[in-house]
Amino acid sequence: MAERTLSGIGVTPLSGVGSVVWYRPDADLPEPPEPEDVDVGSERTRFEDGRATAERELRTERTRTAERVGEDEAAVFDAHIQFLNDPQITDGVTEAINGGLPAEHAVQETFSTFIEQFENMGGRMGERADDLRDVRDRLVRVLADSERTDLSSLPAGSVVVAERLTPSDTAQLDPERVAGFATVTGGRTSHAAIFARSLALPAIVGIGEELNSVEDGAEVVVDGESGEFVISPDAERKDAVAADDDVAVRPDPVTTTDGVEIEVAANVGTRSDLGPAVERGADGIGLFRTEFLFLDRDSPPNEDEQFDAYVEAVEAFDSGRVVVRTLDIGGDKPVPYLDLPDEENPFLGERGIRRSLGPDATLFETQIRALLRAAASADGARISVMLPLVSTVDELKRARERFEAVADDLAEEGIDHAMPEFGIMVETPAAAFMADQFAPHVDFFSIGTNDLAQYVMAAERGNERVADLGDYRQPAVLRAIDATVSAADGTDCWVGMCGEMAGDPNLTELLVGLGLDELSMSAVTVPQVKAAVSETDTDDATTLASQALQAETKAEVTELLRETQ
Amino acid sequence: MERTVTVVPEDGLHARPASQFVETATEFDADVRLGRADADDLAPAASMLAVTGLGVSHGESVRLVAEGDDAEAALDALEAILSTPEATH
Repeated sequence: MAERTLSGIGVTPLSGVGSVVWYRPDADLPEPPEPEDVDVGSERTRFEDGRATAERELRTERTRTAERVGEDEAAVFDAHIQFLNDPQITDGVTEAINGGLPAEHAVQETFSTFIEQFENMGGRMGERADDLRDVRDRLVRVLADSERTDLSSLPAGSVVVAERLTPSDTAQLDPERVAGFATVTGGRTSHAAIFARSLALPAIVGIGEELNSVEDGAEVVVDGESGEFVISPDAERKDAVAADDDVAVRPDPVTTTDGVEIEVAANVGTRSDLGPAVERGADGIGLFRTEFLFLDRDSPPNEDEQFDAYVEAVEAFDSGRVVVRTLDIGGDKPVPYLDLPDEENPFLGERGIRRSLGPDATLFETQIRALLRAAASADGARISVMLPLVSTVDELKRARERFEAVADDLAEEGIDHAMPEFGIMVETPAAAFMADQFAPHVDFFSIGTNDLAQYVMAAERGNERVADLGDYRQPAVLRAIDATVSAADGTDCWVGMCGEMAGDPNLTELLVGLGLDELSMSAVTVPQVKAAVSETDTDDATTLASQALQAETKAEVTELLRETQ
Repeated sequence: MERTVTVVPEDGLHARPASQFVETATEFDADVRLGRADADDLAPAASMLAVTGLGVSHGESVRLVAEGDDAEAALDALEAILSTPEATH
């Protein structure tokens, strides 16, 4: 079979070869049992119960949509309820069950017939086919009780292909068994992309509808550098992947040509990120996203579980700092057991430190206890703590008081604890403007460029239509970084960066020139950034930075970067 | 009892008018069926699949056939929906 190439957005400078495993969380069903093994009566009851549940869900969604969006948009749920209860469908499903199919298979089969009919009619009927598909997937999900393809036990060499991958989906992926992944939707800063980088997995996002034509089991090459997804690759193409050598890994700290040490650290979320971080030569962890301890489970992790996770992270490195960010829930990271409100604009809503000082105060206290105890463990002196999405000095002071109150409690209980190094993330324009007021109260700043760029430029992350505006090479973003670094200049406050920008080796010289002391990134680009640091001269870097800060446009910044390569 | 009605809503028998039509049809005891004015085949009015599956557009005529105690009331209510330009909320 001839090679065929699809293209999307490559998100890691890595390539892999493997076999396609389609991940369709809502449509995968196991083979049905033999008809004589099906208990028709109980399957009919399951169908009726499932239908009632699906109808309840639809009514809730209808109400919510009517309130939040509008009556017109809510009307589609009326149609869904009518399809759900359509006599032709209920009769069809009942008949299929009587014929010996389990309820979910009967639903699948009955809907398929109608979906096909509507599709063949084309035009506006095609849209109804989408409605039917929605109703079918809901019903199947309810009936199958969300049984999904188990992403944690895939065959080795799997290339996971999906419409999209959520944070909880990607968190399950076992990097040892996954040769890469590709998705129909998604952009460079989507969660799937960030995960691919932290797990050092070849990945392509945003390939588009064409990806749906790829069959399960097809052999493919995922080139995360060029964004090419090659179906039925020829031998030459596969050899090229095997020969794709990485930049040398440098396990030791690196300095610029004139001897300035720049800490190059990794961003980690889950336990499975620790291995790649160490293997790729990170000096430590510049961002430990603790929310992943909280996602994809039914209840929050207790104090001991968290303590273990923090100690494990710091012990993974012989030396080097581990910066733990306190819980950053809200925004686009849903947690089932927390009653997160529906917000019109979650990125501007109650998230990060706002929740920790508000509705999640109890969770925050547990996390602080675990952190203060971990800071007193054998390697605990290397633990630092930072707060997400701080926008006022008052928030910082209130959080600090919580830490001190918890330390008092632990002292009273006679439990070993220590106060770790304490910092904030600078990811709101407010924090960047006020950096000089924050500096005396903290040990460090860590600039979170993903959110900082989004907020400075008023350009939503992951929205491809405004991707150019939200780019971290925009001069306004560089000025926000410069304002932060300058405010800390001459104080004891060090400044790091932990957004995707820090992991772009083309920007390393510029960032050194802006005066950053530490760069933290997805493990995958640590070797490239270490190589870039070791080739940088700080005088040249400072010149580059001052030119970039005077740039009028992003194009000018890009041009400056090109000239210095 | 039967009646031929011209479909007035801009959307034809789709989306919200179709939803309302089906909703209304199920409110009556009468068995209501419908089809294109020039066709012999009739489909159940209480089935969203059947109603949208007809693909009736704005300006076309449909034949409504009702049997049962409240057949007349059912036809009145359904005719009202098909004769209203903008479906009411």
